[in-house]
Formats: sequence, structure tokens, C-alpha cells
Amino acid sequence: MTATPTTTIDTSTAASVRHLVVRKGDTVLVGPVSFELPAGTTLGLRGPSGSGKSTILRALVGLLPAGLTRTGDITVLDVTVGGAGVDLAALRSRAVLVGQTPVVFPASILANAGFGLRHLVRAPRAELRRRAEGALREAGLWDEVADRLDAPAEQLSVGQRQRLCLARALALDPSVLLLDEPTSALDAGATATVEAALAGLKARRTVLIVSHDRAQLARMCDDVMSLPACP
Amino acid sequence: MGLGAGVAGAALLGVAAFLVVGVRSGPMSWVELLTSAVWDPSRGKYGATAMIWGTAVVAALALALAAPLGWGAAIALHEVAPARWRRALRTGCELLAVVPSIVYGLVGVAFVRPLVSELAGVPGGDSLLAAGLVLAVMVLPTVVAVSVDALAGVPARTREAAAACGLTRTEVIRSAVVPEARRGMGAAALLGLARALGETIAVYLVVGRADSLVPQSLGDAVTRAVRPGQTLTTKLNGPETVLAGTAGPHWAALCGLGLLLLAVVAAVTIAGSLRFRGHDPRKPGATSSKRWQPVPRAAHRWRKGRDRLARTWLVAILAVPLALVAGIAAVALTRGSAALDPSFWSTPALGASGGGISGQVAGTLLLVVVAGVLTAPVGLALGLLLSEYAGPGAARWLRTLTLTLGGVPSILLGLWGYWLFSSRLGWGKSWLAGAVVLAVVALPPVALAVAATISALPGERREAALAVGLRRDQLVRSVLVPHALPGLVTGLLLGLARAAGETAPLLFTAAVFSGAQPLPQGIRNAEVTALPTHIFTLAQDAADPAALRTAWGAALALMAVAGLLVLVALPVRRRLEARAA
Repeated sequence: MTATPTTTIDTSTAASVRHLVVRKGDTVLVGPVSFELPAGTTLGLRGPSGSGKSTILRALVGLLPAGLTRTGDITVLDVTVGGAGVDLAALRSRAVLVGQTPVVFPASILANAGFGLRHLVRAPRAELRRRAEGALREAGLWDEVADRLDAPAEQLSVGQRQRLCLARALALDPSVLLLDEPTSALDAGATATVEAALAGLKARRTVLIVSHDRAQLARMCDDVMSLPACP
Repeated sequence: MGLGAGVAGAALLGVAAFLVVGVRSGPMSWVELLTSAVWDPSRGKYGATAMIWGTAVVAALALALAAPLGWGAAIALHEVAPARWRRALRTGCELLAVVPSIVYGLVGVAFVRPLVSELAGVPGGDSLLAAGLVLAVMVLPTVVAVSVDALAGVPARTREAAAACGLTRTEVIRSAVVPEARRGMGAAALLGLARALGETIAVYLVVGRADSLVPQSLGDAVTRAVRPGQTLTTKLNGPETVLAGTAGPHWAALCGLGLLLLAVVAAVTIAGSLRFRGHDPRKPGATSSKRWQPVPRAAHRWRKGRDRLARTWLVAILAVPLALVAGIAAVALTRGSAALDPSFWSTPALGASGGGISGQVAGTLLLVVVAGVLTAPVGLALGLLLSEYAGPGAARWLRTLTLTLGGVPSILLGLWGYWLFSSRLGWGKSWLAGAVVLAVVALPPVALAVAATISALPGERREAALAVGLRRDQLVRSVLVPHALPGLVTGLLLGLARAAGETAPLLFTAAVFSGAQPLPQGIRNAEVTALPTHIFTLAQDAADPAALRTAWGAALALMAVAGLLVLVALPVRRRLEARAA
């Protein structure tokens, strides 16, 4: 591995992965991989397609697709993923994954931004709405949608949807943000808007970005780790 | 290819047309039919509100039970149960659809009637409630199957996106999966309703068939639901149809009932299939955008418990159809043990209820084989037309036409066969008339299976064939037809399995209870005996233990015949699905 396994345990480690191996049947898809994500930093994970970057992100929050098995230790926000009695749903609300393909739910823009909030946070309506709107601002989408918050989210362009997914994650005020190829579906202009939104987050959040775009990671990350091609 | 469309169109329009001709054959008042409750042919009174009321109550009861159960079972099956069990669980639920309706009728006679009699204090138990309960079980597999298809249409990344926000499994289901599958699940209920409205035989055996009873008040309506009644289909299946001749006021009134039934069932089927096809979560504006209501849900600490409770509840719902399958199988095996004796299969029937079922088995096989021979080419042609020849607009209409034909109550097809073959052509009861009607019953599943197979053909293969200079007819002959053959076989087996269990179409066109030659000679007055009609006649003599023993034996034999067809068909279909995926 090019990644340097950190030997000292940092108390402010947001996530740590040790000897992670993901298999499909007998075929090894990923690993072994070890790395640490220090709290407050932005780490990039780079590798050719098929090297298992997305799979690692999913393993971090226990969302491996059916049929894949994993070994190794994963700790995220002091929670052992896959451990007995672990409330993965609660973990996922603190370490939120944003997928590669922007998924919008068949509901309004505002409802999409507040999708997780509605279930997770007990607060008056006005407060929930305020937080959903704040998330849209933080994701850099507010100016484009402020006048049509109740319009169907399906009306948005792909770049806007990507930022809506980001807003959905940010509304939960997560400690860790896991971004899977955040700009792969976008053209240059939309990429720039999403990158600008992400740059704004950097100071306040712990972020793990997966991308095949070396230049993008260099622009955005404090540190970049690269994965070899799949064995 | 015109052959396929011609036959499908002719069959559907033929049913509608013969009913219209029938209505016009005698003085018939739509106003009286739709407003009066009195049905008394001897006094020339033909009012149908009692039957409309009976049909509505029976279908509503069935749907009220089957829709929530079916939705819950589908969600449990597709979203909660481990992926590796899905296929087995789904097959289990599908078996419920394989059981012929006459067997449900027998189950109704043996179990539901006594149950209702016990609970509601109705002597005998014949009632709208009993019919509703039996229908609920029959409609359940339709609701489950269509709902599962709708859930399977929700992309995996939708679930992942919702789970990635920290939602529990049931929250994901409620907030992300069900909203996207809602249209399809609504369609499932509509298609189930269509089936409930059109079912004849099982209802006939338990509904009591009492005419002219309508509630006088709301309280009376509740009381009446546990009393005998009449539905549109059971009236048409009764002895009056043959007594009415094929012209005159009585026949016209019966055709009016048929037209009413056809209109309602066709409307519900078309609404259901349009609604299902409309399901496309990626299409902008496909789903309504409700204003966001950020209602705070339960406090954090309850979420896990609620999730576990909801999942347990869903799995319990899924157990209902599976338990019904197991129960029906167990009952058929114990009560129908006569069929486990080979001599039962090889001895002819004797007297009213004795002997074996050799003639009935031979008759059923004859009808099914001839129906298969008739349906195969037509179904292949219609399937090719649906998937290859028709333009997008025409294909949509043809598809709707085919689905509607598939939803036409089989009693109406039976009446059509009776009018055309037995009466107009003067065949009397004839095996060929029965086989033609069964072929129409089997046509839609065959055509749709062929169309689905052809649509799954990889585009490159078609392109490669066209690239070497094949004309369209050559492409069809050397690429599409060979590719479609497994689909044809599967559709044929499933369609014939359904046809083998059909009772109502045979009663008027082909089958007698006794006195037929083992193998009929010629076409005119060449009646046969068949398993479903045999069971039907025996089941009406529920007081005689010997009759019931023979009926259950014949039921087990019928299920064996239909089950064998399905058991062969399912692995073929699975391989096709795997290849398409």
C-alpha cells in the first residue's frame, strides 16, 4: 500500500481502517487496506476505476452491497462497524455517505434536503425547516432554488441534484462526510460549483473524498492516499 | 402477424359484440336493470341492483383484506427477508396463484362456509362474507406479485441514499422505497380488484345465490353481508343461462349483466395496467410533489424498537400467504388421498360419486393439448407484433388490448363460446369449442411472455444480424423466433396451467358430468368430461362424503396436472430472467 499506516493512535481520529479486505466469494475486490482519517481534515482516496474506492466508503458505514463480505477492523467515530449491537443507522446519521449518482426522492426540493432530518431530529417544524434551508446554503444550492423550494426535485439538473444530495447530508450536521466521486457526473461548469461548495465545507468538517481525478484531489485535500489497481 | 392481433382483437371485440347483439335481441331496459332489485324471469322482471351490490360487497371485502396483506407480504419479501430467500419465498407466494379456482371453491365449501356459519350464525354459511374471504385468498397472489415487481423497480441506490442518511430499514422502506413504488402498488390492488370482480366458480359455490336481496338501510347492509347473495358472475354461471335460449328478453337481460361486468372489469384492468406502466421514478413530474411537512418523528430512543417491531410485523404478514399455501397443500393431500392410488386415475367414474377419474383426466388433457396447439402460433405472432412489428403507439394499444383480454372474466368467454359454437354454429357441446375458449384464456400470457423475451434480446445481436444484410423477415425467422422459443414455452406452460383449471368456460361449451365417450368423435355434440367441471358438480353435493372424497381426489389430480406444467415452466423463466439481467 502506498498509504502509510499510522502507528500512533491519534485521539482525534474520525475513522480508522485496519487490514480491510473485501471479497466477493473467493475473489478479493479490495485490500488489504489500512488508513486513518484524522478529525478535521480532508483526505482524498485515489485510484483507477475498479480499485474498490467506492467499496471502501460503503464498508465504512456498513452499506456493502449484498454478496460482498469483509474482514478487518473499521472504527468510525469510536463505533466498531459490524460489531455486536452496533446501531448502524445512528452511525450513518453522523458519518453520511453521498453516493456517486445523485439520488433524489420523489418529493419537493426542501423535502429532499430535510429527508434525513425528518426522521432523526426531534424539533419544531420551523427549526427543521431552518436547518434544511441552512444545508441548501452550505451546499451552494440556495440561490438557485430559493424561489421554488416546493417544486419537485426531479426538475433539477444533474449538477444541482448532486448539491441537493450534499445538502441532504449536511442537514444532519454530520461529523464525517464521505463523498463518492462527487463530480463524476458533471460537466466542467457544474464541477466548479460543486468544488466551490466543498471548499466551503473543508474548514468545518472531516471529509473523505473518493475520486479518480488526481488534479481535483490535489486541489481539495490535505492529504491524498492512492490505491493500487485491483489485484 | 396480423393473425395474432386479429385473433386477440376478434376475441375481445367478439365478447363485447356478442353481448351487444344479445342485448339487442330482446326488449331490455337498462334503466330497469340498473335501478331495480327484482330479478324474476317468470314475471319478466330483470333488475340487477342486488347483483351489483353483491359483486361490490364481495370485491370490496376481498380487496380490503388482500391489499394490505399483499402489500405487506411484498414489502417483507423484497425489502426485509434476506436476499437469498427471496426467490423461494416468491415462488411460495406464486403457488397460491397456481391453485385452480375450483379448488378454492372446494376449500370454501369445506372450511370457509362452516367458519362463517360458526362465527355469524348463518345456517350453512353461504354468504357474501364467505365469498369475500375466499376471494381475498385468490386475489392475494396477484397483489403480492405485482407489488414485488413494483418494489424491484426501485433502484438500489435509492435505498442506499436513504440508509446513508441514517434511516432504519423500516424508515427507508416508508420514506424512500414505498413512495417510489406507490404507483405500481396501487396498480397491484387494481389488478387484484379486476380479478375479484370477474371470479366466478369459487364465489358460485359459497355465495348462496339468493336473488333480489338488497339492503334497506346501513345497518341492514352489515347484516346482509353475512347472508346469502348473488353476484353478476354467479348469475351468469347459473342454470338460467341455458334456459334463456339465445334470444329474447331473458337472454338480453343476461347479456346486459355480462356487458356491465365486462365494462367494469375492463376499466379496472386498463386503469391498473396504465398505472403500472406509468411507474417511472426517473421521469420528471412522474410523481406528485407534495409540500414538505417536516413532522418530527418519534424520539431517538424509540427508533430502533419501532424498526424491530415493524419488521417482525411485516414478516408475520408474509407468513400468511405461505401458511395458506402450506394449508391448502396439506388439505388437498389428506382429503384427496384417493388420487394417490393409481387405480383412481385409471378407473372411469361410476354413478353419481363413485369410481375414478380416467375419463376426466383424458378430457382435460385433450382440451389442454388442443388449446396449446391453437394458442402457440397465435401467441407467437401476437408476441412478435407487440415487440417487433407495431410502432410504439400501436404497441401500447395492443398491449393494453392483450392485458384487457387477459382480464376478461372467463365466464364471459364461456358465454361467448356457448353463443358462437354451441348455439350459432350448432355444435352443441363440443370439445373443440371448449379448447378454443381455453386457447383464448391462455393467449395473453403466451403473447406477453414472447414479447418480454424478444424485448430482452441484446441490441448487439439484432444489429449484428442486420449488419450482414438480413431483411426484417429473415431477422424474425433466424434471430427473433429462435430467441423467443423459451419464452413461448414458458408462457404456454403457465397459460395452459391456468386454462387447465378453468371451469366456467367449459360448463357451457364442452363438458358434461357423465355420459361422454372417453374420447369424443367428430365435432358436433362431441362433449367431454373434465376434471374442473367434475369437481364443480361434486362440490355442490357437499352433504355426500363419497362425493367430497372424489372431488378432493380430482382436485389433487388437477393440481398435479397444473403444478407439473408450472414446475417445468418456472426454471425456464428463471433462466430467461438471468439471461436478461
